[in-house]
Amino acid sequence: MTNQIAAQNSATQSPREVAVRASHVTMDFGGVLAVNDASFELEKGRFLTILGPSGSGKTTLLRMIAGFQKQTAGEITINGKPVDAAPPHRRSIGMVFQKLALFPHMTAAENVAFPLKMRRFNPRQIAGRVDQFLDLVKLGGYGNRRINELSGGQQQRVAIARALVFEPDLLLLDEPLAALDVKLREEMQLEFRRIQHELGVTTINVTHDQREALVVSDNIIVMDGGRIQQQAEPVELYRAPENPFVAGFLGLSSFVEGTATADGNMQVGDLVVQGEPADDFAAGTKVLAAIRAEQIRLAGTREALGNCDMKLEGRVSDTIFEGERQMYVVEVGALSGATFRVYHHDPDSFGLFHVGDTVALGWNRRDLKIFSPAA
Amino acid sequence: MTARSQRILFWALVWFCILILSVPTIIVVGASFTTANMISFPPEGFTLKWYEKIALARDLQQAFIRSLIVSTVCLIVSVPVGTLAGLALSRFKLRFANAIQIYLLLPFTVPLIGSGIGMMLIFGEWRVLGSLWPVGVALAVINLPFIIWSVSSSAGALDGDLELAASSCGAGRFETFWFVTVPGVMPGIITGGLLMFVLAMSEFLVSLLLTDARTVTLPVQIYNNIRSIITPDLAAVSSVFVVIALLAVWLLDRLVGLEIFLKSK
Ligand SMILES: Nc1ncnc2c1ncn2[C@@H]1O[C@H](COP(=O)(O)OP(=O)(O)OP(=O)(O)O)[C@@H](O)[C@H]1O
Ligand SMILES: [Mg+2]
Repeated sequence: MTNQIAAQNSATQSPREVAVRASHVTMDFGGVLAVNDASFELEKGRFLTILGPSGSGKTTLLRMIAGFQKQTAGEITINGKPVDAAPPHRRSIGMVFQKLALFPHMTAAENVAFPLKMRRFNPRQIAGRVDQFLDLVKLGGYGNRRINELSGGQQQRVAIARALVFEPDLLLLDEPLAALDVKLREEMQLEFRRIQHELGVTTINVTHDQREALVVSDNIIVMDGGRIQQQAEPVELYRAPENPFVAGFLGLSSFVEGTATADGNMQVGDLVVQGEPADDFAAGTKVLAAIRAEQIRLAGTREALGNCDMKLEGRVSDTIFEGERQMYVVEVGALSGATFRVYHHDPDSFGLFHVGDTVALGWNRRDLKIFSPAA
Repeated sequence: MTARSQRILFWALVWFCILILSVPTIIVVGASFTTANMISFPPEGFTLKWYEKIALARDLQQAFIRSLIVSTVCLIVSVPVGTLAGLALSRFKLRFANAIQIYLLLPFTVPLIGSGIGMMLIFGEWRVLGSLWPVGVALAVINLPFIIWSVSSSAGALDGDLELAASSCGAGRFETFWFVTVPGVMPGIITGGLLMFVLAMSEFLVSLLLTDARTVTLPVQIYNNIRSIITPDLAAVSSVFVVIALLAVWLLDRLVGLEIFLKSK
């Protein structure tokens, strides 16, 4: 049965249609621009994550898509129709809330059956469908439990089943995993991905967890201060951030300030640092470079670094043990004392370097991104 | 050591309070078993004859039934009105929320004798004073704040997203109200309802003003029966009252305890 649904969905998906389109959407809470001129498109059947720090406007954007709040400017359409064309209960949107909002006076099965009853499904088919979706979220046999008799992860699954059981056009997830412990969260992330692939439902997920965004999504929107900073596929977003905010928000980056050179590199003092400019900068403009902690190589001497486009000496100013790896903070005098945070995987010799040691740093040109600092 | 002595002090205080609060109840219940013809405590001997007497007293019986009717009318009026008002007060950002809160305090600031006389005038004007239902309505009006508060505090504790969740499940406004909001505030409705019932059963002053010989309720009847001395049969009636109140508390514990069990937290 589930496979049938999946087959149907992939059939309708073949020419990618746009499921959700936001154009110049703004939400003005009396002077506070919670969402500021946001535009994006989401194709049918894809999994989009809206990623951003607390207060960046993620929930507000999601609630406008759900139609619970009306934007003050701009338009949102779902399958070509404006969201506010119909009241919330007449739309085909399933939603999993941050605090789940399961009905406490009903059993798990009654919770899952509720949308089917409200949407006037054939009463004879309801029980079978409820069982089918409880199985889908691996809760077969738990239908008669009350909500308070289920664990956090199980409640999560009930909420997902309730949001999906009527096969909505769109599934919205508002940080539903935020309250779970790390292990369970990672398990549920994979679960989301499996279910989404199985049903092929268009999904928008909100989170401030960059790892979750990278793991589950086909497409990621990074938000900050109500503005969309970048929309891209996970690998591209990670490899080619378009501005310092995205570079700093995903992964662990170190920043160096300098001025642009005519050939697209960066000058700090007398030293020219090779990097990849995000834009065409006029020579002499102020720029900000970023490089990820795992893209910097670390060794005792320049020779031991092997092939690198850029090699520098620095002094270890701090070492932090993180379990599977060690992080070193290295101060580079030649770059007017800029500090770099470097991950070092070396299973045999944890603590290879110590505070005060002189070390060699190296990286490749394409890994150092040069941005305009204003962005 | 300190913890121990603190505990002893704490429990001593608790028991002292319990004792002080229950002294009138203990005396009246004890006195209802006395064999003497005058109320006395500690009781002289033990007899159930006063209970037999009140069970056979037609005036008390009829007054009791009238009290039940009045309380039921009060319940029927106050539960829907109080529930809706309580929900409105906590759910919507009402423009005059403050003014409404103060208005709800009015029944406590206006002396009962004042509101009683006011209602006597109104019901007299409408020519409905001889029947029982106006008494129930009057008691619903004066005690309404209790159920409103009970419901609105229950609604305040309810997760606001539940109603949005219901609408995303396809429930319209009415369905959301009936299947999600009302079950969610059920503990408040039950608590408020039982409170209204018990208060209506024992209300005296307003009932005294609104009843006549044909419609006396139990508290008024008891008052009428008091001559120069208080006879033990009145202690027996009072004991029955105590039992009703205890029953209500027990019921509350069962029902609301059950509701809390049904809730996830
Ligand atoms: N109803 C409201 N009235 C006024 N301001 C609001 C309202 N709702 C949200 N805001 C403001 O809008 C901004 C964005 O809020 P929003 O809830 O969308 O953030 P978020 O990205 O979901 O954050 P979090 O990760 O903490 O949930 C915040 O500055 C918030 O204070
Ligand atoms: Mg949020």
